Amino acid sequence: MIFLQPWLLLALPLILLPIIIHLINQWRFQTIPWAAMMFLLSAHKMARGYSRLRQWLIMLLRVLAIAALLFAVSRPLAGGWLGLAAGERGDTTLILLDRSPSMQWRNPGSAESKLKTACRQLRDLMASLQTDRYVVIDSVTYTPLSLQSADLLTDLSSAQAASSSADIPRLLEVAHHYVRDNKAGKTEIWICSDVASNDWESESGRWRSLRESFSAFPQSIRFHLLAYQRHEPSNLSIRVTDVRRLETSEKAELLISFRLTRTGKETDKLTVPVQWEIEGSRSSQTVELVGPRVDIRDHSIPIDRARKRGWGRVSIPTDINPADDDFYFVFDQPPPRKTLLVTDDPSIVRPLELAAQISSDPSVRATAEIVQPDQLTGVDWDQLALVLWQSALPQGVTEQLVTSFIDRGGQVAFFPPKTPTGDTFLGLRWTNWKSGNSTIPIDTWQSNEGPIARTMSGAALPVGDLEIRRYCGLEGECSKFAVLQGGEPLLARAPAGKGHAYLWTTTPSPADSSLGTNGVVLYAFVQRVIAAGADALSKSRQLIAGETPAVESKEWVILAETDQGLSTESAHHRGAYRSDDRLIAVNRSLAEDEGIPLSDDRVAGLFTGLDFSRVDDRAGSTNSMVQEIWRTFLIAMLLALIAEAILCLPKGTRKGAATK
Amino acid sequence: MLTDRQTRSFLDPQVLSRLAAVPLLARRPMQGNVSGRHSSPHRGSSVEFAEYRKYVPGDDLRRLDWRAYGRSDRFYVKEFEADTNLRLILVIDTSGSMGFGSGSLNKIEYARKIAGTLGYLASQQGDAVGVTCAAEGIVKHIPAKQSPAHLRLIFDTIEEAVPNGPTQLVQVLHELSETVRQRAFVVVISDFFMPPAELSGCFQHLRFRRHDVALFHLLDPLEISFTFHRPMRFVDMEGGPSIFAEPSDIAERYGKALEQYLSELKQVVLESAVDYQRVQINEDYEQVLLQFLIRRTQTRGLR
Repeated sequence: MIFLQPWLLLALPLILLPIIIHLINQWRFQTIPWAAMMFLLSAHKMARGYSRLRQWLIMLLRVLAIAALLFAVSRPLAGGWLGLAAGERGDTTLILLDRSPSMQWRNPGSAESKLKTACRQLRDLMASLQTDRYVVIDSVTYTPLSLQSADLLTDLSSAQAASSSADIPRLLEVAHHYVRDNKAGKTEIWICSDVASNDWESESGRWRSLRESFSAFPQSIRFHLLAYQRHEPSNLSIRVTDVRRLETSEKAELLISFRLTRTGKETDKLTVPVQWEIEGSRSSQTVELVGPRVDIRDHSIPIDRARKRGWGRVSIPTDINPADDDFYFVFDQPPPRKTLLVTDDPSIVRPLELAAQISSDPSVRATAEIVQPDQLTGVDWDQLALVLWQSALPQGVTEQLVTSFIDRGGQVAFFPPKTPTGDTFLGLRWTNWKSGNSTIPIDTWQSNEGPIARTMSGAALPVGDLEIRRYCGLEGECSKFAVLQGGEPLLARAPAGKGHAYLWTTTPSPADSSLGTNGVVLYAFVQRVIAAGADALSKSRQLIAGETPAVESKEWVILAETDQGLSTESAHHRGAYRSDDRLIAVNRSLAEDEGIPLSDDRVAGLFTGLDFSRVDDRAGSTNSMVQEIWRTFLIAMLLALIAEAILCLPKGTRKGAATK
Repeated sequence: MLTDRQTRSFLDPQVLSRLAAVPLLARRPMQGNVSGRHSSPHRGSSVEFAEYRKYVPGDDLRRLDWRAYGRSDRFYVKEFEADTNLRLILVIDTSGSMGFGSGSLNKIEYARKIAGTLGYLASQQGDAVGVTCAAEGIVKHIPAKQSPAHLRLIFDTIEEAVPNGPTQLVQVLHELSETVRQRAFVVVISDFFMPPAELSGCFQHLRFRRHDVALFHLLDPLEISFTFHRPMRFVDMEGGPSIFAEPSDIAERYGKALEQYLSELKQVVLESAVDYQRVQINEDYEQVLLQFLIRRTQTRGLR
């Protein structure tokens, strides 16, 4: 419980007044010689039980009355569990706001989101607490913002909805730095969140260091979690999984794949109206949803042949979470899929050339160019999607060219040279060729992610069928996608910039492996890395909110936006943007659709050893969680006084007994 | 004797002169030594006709009713009531509790006034007066005699009575029942703070011995009202343990105990047929005695 006039509680010893008066009254007794002792003895014997109890009750009620009066004038605050959790007032109050899309959930019948409710509740609480300093840290800017008044909390731009996921450990790290740098005294840290597992990253090792660092503070740091856990009403969300512009001689159209997901316990057939907006032109369709999810592939939307690029938006009717009811996308003509083959021996890389030239999409033209390592200076690197390198690892100027190519998102696949030179690139170097008596079996490979993962239909690539007759040793730190028997890598990836640098430890030459003759794996690999490289070249980008630094988004021009956030925070708000000649679509992450709440025990475990309390609230809750309750104490005092008066009332009169 | 009356603090000559107009009468026949105002169980020579009875040889021939002989030809003797004096035994409780008094008088002083006045009135109408001071036993006993000098001794005894020690009034009354041989008028002045059941026995004993018993039950107004406004330590005046109490807590139960006691005592006096007079010691003793004397005058005649 917290008091607005706590200094008045210094008068609490006054509750001893009735006891002191009683004792004084006892001490100033009068002695009298008495004749009628037989009646007195009888009365005294009878009065021992109830009378003593009554006496104690009267004293207790008097003590309670004074205590209630003192509490009442001290203006206590309370209200549900929040009032209890509020405890005492700190010198600094830090408010950590989770602005993730899942905080936009509303309860049926309420127009207020979890985030708005949390801000309102905290505003009321802070107005009552009257802390010296309020600081807000939100999950978009991760920057402490001091508030002059708690009333500003609900109108703060830092407290508005965003589409980026929250990073709660990072919020706490910022809070820790603030407390440390500003030498804050007694600090109350309020975390407003829906406790979604993707926001909290409970498995992260940062939690341990956070616990240790907060425990190291000499001052009192108290954590309060204002939790808005997800309940299970039915909610629909929509997400675009693929957008392609297809132009034929007859028409131009957008082929859009999208997914409609339903959460909750309802499984009935549901007809969902879906509205499309392409550069302001709207169309609609209905989708029948049975079960929790439906995937629609290549839904065709005709567009003007002249419209080569643009943005679009798909939306469903607003439900309890408006943050996942729409999705933005941008489209553009596919970039050319140009592959550069760098080799000393063109006969070896013939299969590679074929794999690069045959496009998986008939509408997209793919080309491949073979050059010698010493001819690289004349290459237009900005037009390349993939570089296949079968030669000694690049050194000197060539190394810089390749590195910068990878840094801007380019893809490079290295194959070992005939004669390893021992040169190092990205911390890796070829050692020696090794061969066995027979083919070397492939032990393991990653089929769930990477360039040799399963196909979209779920079928695994026949990696195990490959026959490896000879391989070249590889030294250095790398991620292994396929491993030969004996632990040597077959396919590895070097740590690089935005792009990727893959290394095969054998070549498509029939003398080395069956990569060329059994070309399924090689073709899939090449086409996948070409597609990844082409995406980097594409002038339309699909971004996940929050994953682009805010600095980069400052220059973005808003084409369409839902949240209407600050222009400096465009990277955190879903919408369509233009940056120079690039089109950018920003949307929530996939994890937001799946957001699974952390269990209570798990959350409590994250704050083990810290002063932590949790308050559960519901979105749109109108019950004020903090209110002055002096009236309650006043009523309690009155009740105590009335009860005391009743107990003190003399029962009947003794005159009747004394009449003659 | 006039000199004595002037010096006795418990005697008021004006009260005595006013009360002298009302006789002190016994409710039961008394066996006195001389003629007096009180009825006797024997036939005597008063003017009040009692009955006829047959002549038996030896009867005084002067008492034959010759007119009855003329009418019935039988000898009848005419008998008259006898008047005699009485023996007044004043029993004063001198236990410690009689020293209590919340006003100008305490109980023993009030008892002195009643006893002294009754003694004087009895003596003036020719009755013998004795006094017994009772506390843990008989503290002092003066047998009943009829003489002015004896009355002075009675007054001295009353004046010297000091409240002290516990009460054994029941035993004292039993003892008096046995020691006073002839019928007497026994007046007990006490606060009777003892179980009524015990008192019942001694009253029955006195009645069995054909004594006329009158009780003056002295109570202080404070003992009835029990009005105190602060914690009190009550010290037993008869040497018992002290009690510390908050009067407001026990007042109700004290009142109930007192009420029950008075109710039981009333039942006892009704069953014992004793003359009971409850007196608060702030009352005027003259009025108390006047009512007492008048009531006895009205109930005279039992033989």
